Amino acid sequence: MSGNYKSVFDIIGPVMIGPSSSHTAGAVAIGRAANRIFGDVPTKIVVHYYESFAQTHKGHGTDYAIISGIMGFEPDDARVPNALQIAKDSGIEVQFIEEAGDSPIGHPNTAIVELSKADREITVAGCSIGGGTIEIRDIKMDGFHIKPKGPLPILLVQSDASNKNLIQEKLAKINTINYHAEYDAPGKGMLYEYDLENRLKEQDLSTLSQKHTKMVYL
Amino acid sequence: MYESIKALVDASMSTDTSISELMIQQEMTKNNVSREEVWQQMAHNLEVMEAAVKRGVEGDGVFSKTGLTGGEAVLLKKYREKGHTLSGDTMVEAVQNAIATNEVNAAMGVVCATPTAGSTGTLPGVLFVIRDRLNLSREQMINFLFTAGAFGMIIANNAMIAGATGGCQAEVGSASAMAAAAAVEAAGGNAEQSAEALAMAMSNLLGLVCDPVAGLVELPCVKRNAIGAGNALIAADMALAGCTNKIPADEVVSAMKEVGQGLPKALRETGIGGLAGTRTGVKMKVSIFGKSVPIS
Repeated sequence: MSGNYKSVFDIIGPVMIGPSSSHTAGAVAIGRAANRIFGDVPTKIVVHYYESFAQTHKGHGTDYAIISGIMGFEPDDARVPNALQIAKDSGIEVQFIEEAGDSPIGHPNTAIVELSKADREITVAGCSIGGGTIEIRDIKMDGFHIKPKGPLPILLVQSDASNKNLIQEKLAKINTINYHAEYDAPGKGMLYEYDLENRLKEQDLSTLSQKHTKMVYL
Repeated sequence: MYESIKALVDASMSTDTSISELMIQQEMTKNNVSREEVWQQMAHNLEVMEAAVKRGVEGDGVFSKTGLTGGEAVLLKKYREKGHTLSGDTMVEAVQNAIATNEVNAAMGVVCATPTAGSTGTLPGVLFVIRDRLNLSREQMINFLFTAGAFGMIIANNAMIAGATGGCQAEVGSASAMAAAAAVEAAGGNAEQSAEALAMAMSNLLGLVCDPVAGLVELPCVKRNAIGAGNALIAADMALAGCTNKIPADEVVSAMKEVGQGLPKALRETGIGGLAGTRTGVKMKVSIFGKSVPIS
């Protein structure tokens, strides 16, 4: 059992703008993950599509869906179908590339998103596994190369080593940590990754983010 | 979380608790939310489904941007009004509801994915017709969705629900199985009968390929939901009559996974094989996207 689908609303839901939960709502979700990791509106977006995404993104509205997510829209936002025009009007440069090879993260519905602004750039590799549910399997940000197992929720905390035990103890108390990894980047300190079993409560999330400002919750 | 259909059915039978109630309880503990929040969210999803079923038959109906699909829920409604349907009004109404929902989806309208957008019409197809047949209350309709979700979660976690990984059997097949199981509960059947209905519905759609013309969720997706809804009603009736599938539900789900993994890529939502690869299918793709788009 994979345990990817954790809520009844992953199955009866999401409420979304059609036509495809994997290629539209899932693409919004991958875009939203990239949006949270970047933490800003980019000036340039490059999207690489693989396999089913490469073959059918035009028919499924994947392009406007993924851009919607990158701009922070929800899957049922009425602006979703117009996202490409909205991005263009905001002066964002957008490029889509249909890759011929197999997905580097091993799933037919794969998108790799590169976001940049000035000298900052991030890369997020996500796949849409069905019904709007996604996995994030590879992230490059701020000198760190993070390789989560895939299923959400994922919590990334950039902090110095002295805080490590505090974060871990707090998380263990309120949740189940399915997987944990640590990454070291020269001059950037440490980044701690926690793949969690359950969604965090709003209240716990805000307590954690008060203590650790450099935090990404997917 | 319930890891198998057997575990879910055993929990329901041994505690004399409905599957919908077990699902609500799991949702509350697993995701740290109150009963009220869980209930309200499902009530909202029900409203979205109702609105799509209604919108699909207003005026001349809804049409997709490409013109490949649309307006057929209205044709079915008018046909029903004449009173001479071959398979009975309940069946054709289910078909109408399913098609209306997927026409709204293809036209980029708002839908509730159950479990996916491509298979979004199957569950409402069944639900709104048994509402009238069985005089279901609002509460029973919401419970129907929790029951469908409980079975759907097990299918999604133990096999797959994406056409790109498992073909249409994973989408409409799963939706039909979920709808059949939930219909049995709504009609007063027990959890074992729900599992039998699920097993029969899914067994009947094993091997169904995902072959969307031009990669669009239109042809044949819209009408596949008609068969998903019809198949669910048939399976539910068989289970309520006491028929059994002989192969247990969990093994059918495993078989669906294995068949899905064995399907060639051309038949897993690439818009290459099956109906997408027919002469007419290819012609449609070229006329919509132009010749610059690779055909295969």
